[in-house]
Amino acid sequence: MYKKMLLIISLCLVSVFICSCDKKDDDVLTLRICNWEEYIDEGDWDEEETIDLPSGDIIGENSMIEDFEEWYEDTYGEKIKVEYSCFGTNEELYNQLTLGDEFDLVCPSEYMIMKLLNEDKLVKYDDSFYDASDDSNYYAKGVSPYISNYVKDIKVENVSIADYIAGYMWGVTGSVYNPEEVSEEDASTWKLMINPKYKRKVTMKDNVRDAYFASLGMLKSDELVKLFDDYKSGKITFDEYHKILNQEMNDEDPKTIQAVENLLQDNKDMFYSFETDNGKSDIVTGKIVTNYQWSGDGVFALDQAEEDGVYLNFAVPKECTNLWFDGWVMLKDGIGGDDRRKIAAERFVNFISRPDNVVRNMYYIGYTSAIAGGDDSTIFDYADWCYGAEDDEEDVVDYPLDYFFSGDSEGDEYVITAPREQLKRQLFAQYPTVDVLERSSIMEYCGGETTSELNQMWINVRCFNPFRK
Amino acid sequence: MVLPLLVIIYYAFTNAEGEVTIDNFKAFFTSGNTIGTLIYSFVIAFAVTAVCLLIAYPVSYALAVSKAKYRAVLLMLFIIPMWVNFTLRITAVKEILTFVEGSLAFHPFLNTVIGMCYDFLPFMILPIYTSLEKIDVSLVEAAYDLGATGRETFIKVILPLSVPGIISGMTMVFLPSMTNYVVLDMLYNSTYIMGSLIGSYFSAYDWHNGSMISMVLFAIIVVISMITSRFGESDSDERGALL
Repeated sequence: MYKKMLLIISLCLVSVFICSCDKKDDDVLTLRICNWEEYIDEGDWDEEETIDLPSGDIIGENSMIEDFEEWYEDTYGEKIKVEYSCFGTNEELYNQLTLGDEFDLVCPSEYMIMKLLNEDKLVKYDDSFYDASDDSNYYAKGVSPYISNYVKDIKVENVSIADYIAGYMWGVTGSVYNPEEVSEEDASTWKLMINPKYKRKVTMKDNVRDAYFASLGMLKSDELVKLFDDYKSGKITFDEYHKILNQEMNDEDPKTIQAVENLLQDNKDMFYSFETDNGKSDIVTGKIVTNYQWSGDGVFALDQAEEDGVYLNFAVPKECTNLWFDGWVMLKDGIGGDDRRKIAAERFVNFISRPDNVVRNMYYIGYTSAIAGGDDSTIFDYADWCYGAEDDEEDVVDYPLDYFFSGDSEGDEYVITAPREQLKRQLFAQYPTVDVLERSSIMEYCGGETTSELNQMWINVRCFNPFRK
Repeated sequence: MVLPLLVIIYYAFTNAEGEVTIDNFKAFFTSGNTIGTLIYSFVIAFAVTAVCLLIAYPVSYALAVSKAKYRAVLLMLFIIPMWVNFTLRITAVKEILTFVEGSLAFHPFLNTVIGMCYDFLPFMILPIYTSLEKIDVSLVEAAYDLGATGRETFIKVILPLSVPGIISGMTMVFLPSMTNYVVLDMLYNSTYIMGSLIGSYFSAYDWHNGSMISMVLFAIIVVISMITSRFGESDSDERGALL
């Protein structure tokens, strides 16, 4: 009995002690960040991984978070503590937020950002954050003009998401394929997934949004190709083309949803699997010949295969592709009205947008950053370091990247001289050509009703149903 | 312990507007998807349990009658794999099945049953082995003395005495087979079972239907446990010795 009492008393004392500790540390700001798993440099690189660029060597010794805390104290003379946690899917993050978890800064995908904005959960970035004349505003100075233009046009009920978001990583969707098994022509269409030649050797993504997009691509294949031809031959302007493309790929008509359901029902035997992560390894080991993939993971698969002496390619469907991006947004629930928090969050975004840190993250994650670097050429140098041809290579091509780095798609300032095969490999996946990006569409956030119709469609596809006609 | 359950009950009986309703349950019993998934899960669970039982009984019997010095080794053979994380074991099964079948895509149902059997077999073997080992040898000898043949002894003495082990083995295999969707996912069976259906509702923010299905599953588990505990009643202390 006494022992129990003693235990209870000591527990109380400990908790009082912990509480008082908390109070003492109150002047140290805690920034709560939630990001995708393995989506930031965690440091600990080997010596030989050093990236030697003209502007200096880059290596990740400590994690980006530790470096940020140190940099913050050195630069602003204040201590900061980052509470860093991770999520696996956008839906998981959303569920966490609804359950009452508080974060200051999170990094979901574009459609989830639109959903959060629609629900009035986001805080605007300060005007000063976008002031490119301030030297410490690495984001404003460095963000690719291509990305910032793209983001400007994305609106939720006539509010542009541009003021709420700082882009992080971006890419397109396409197919990783084995050129010995699949021809480039076959690989360059959404219909690849239902091509009987590759029955049970293709994969579908295991989430309703990506599956819906791909299925729309298959259903509307002919229409979309014709539309693109119309634009190319000058029958319609780019703006007209883009508007129609966006509408077609965000089709919310219940009849279309039904058609997609039928298509998936009829063809689910064609797929090797519905996968999220396994496709990358399954194509490297040869279990499948093509894998519907996001470009960043595609680069990863290509790299992995090369280590085993297998050379894979990446293709983007001729109909259209899905341009996606993840961005940093500040949450009302976390920031509240606290300006100190908001400024700290903005400084974090600026820190990871500093060119050397961008390179570290890109190297570590394998995805493409939305930052081009502005006047600083470090990021372009890194792309050149990765994919530029050696001096003695003969079969080389010029790969223009001005659209991304300077915003002038006609320019010739940023050109990588790369081995010819890079036209179909990592360079192409990492920085798709202007031609590919012209036929890209984003997936918009659809309203509650359409969302539940889509979810129902997905359950119908995946469940065994004895009463199905 | 009870609080999460109360939350589930709350969500199961309310709709998105927060009104109390039993529509969720009505939907469960009228939708082909949910009924179909229930049937599919049952079929998988039955198949896995049956295969496990067919393999486990002779193995346990051999274990129980083997010489003491081999027995420890044999037993370890079945226990050691359990020390390895089950996802790793399934990954190994995946490689073997790919090697044998060429591609996993052709027999999703068969692969699932094989994967789950491999995963759950020790849970069937150990309780059966324990109950067989505990049988008093003098009972078997008495049966022979009274003129029973080997077969009669087995059917009339050994088998009835090992029923508690069989029952607890079956419960330990049957229930997880209905919900363990990780095995399905890893072996690329794209058809949902109960576990994956619940997961899909939760990731679509539909906590009401997700909770409702959890409740139904919970009810099924309670019913099954009640039935099996009735079977085991006569020998209740034996059932305590599962592992």
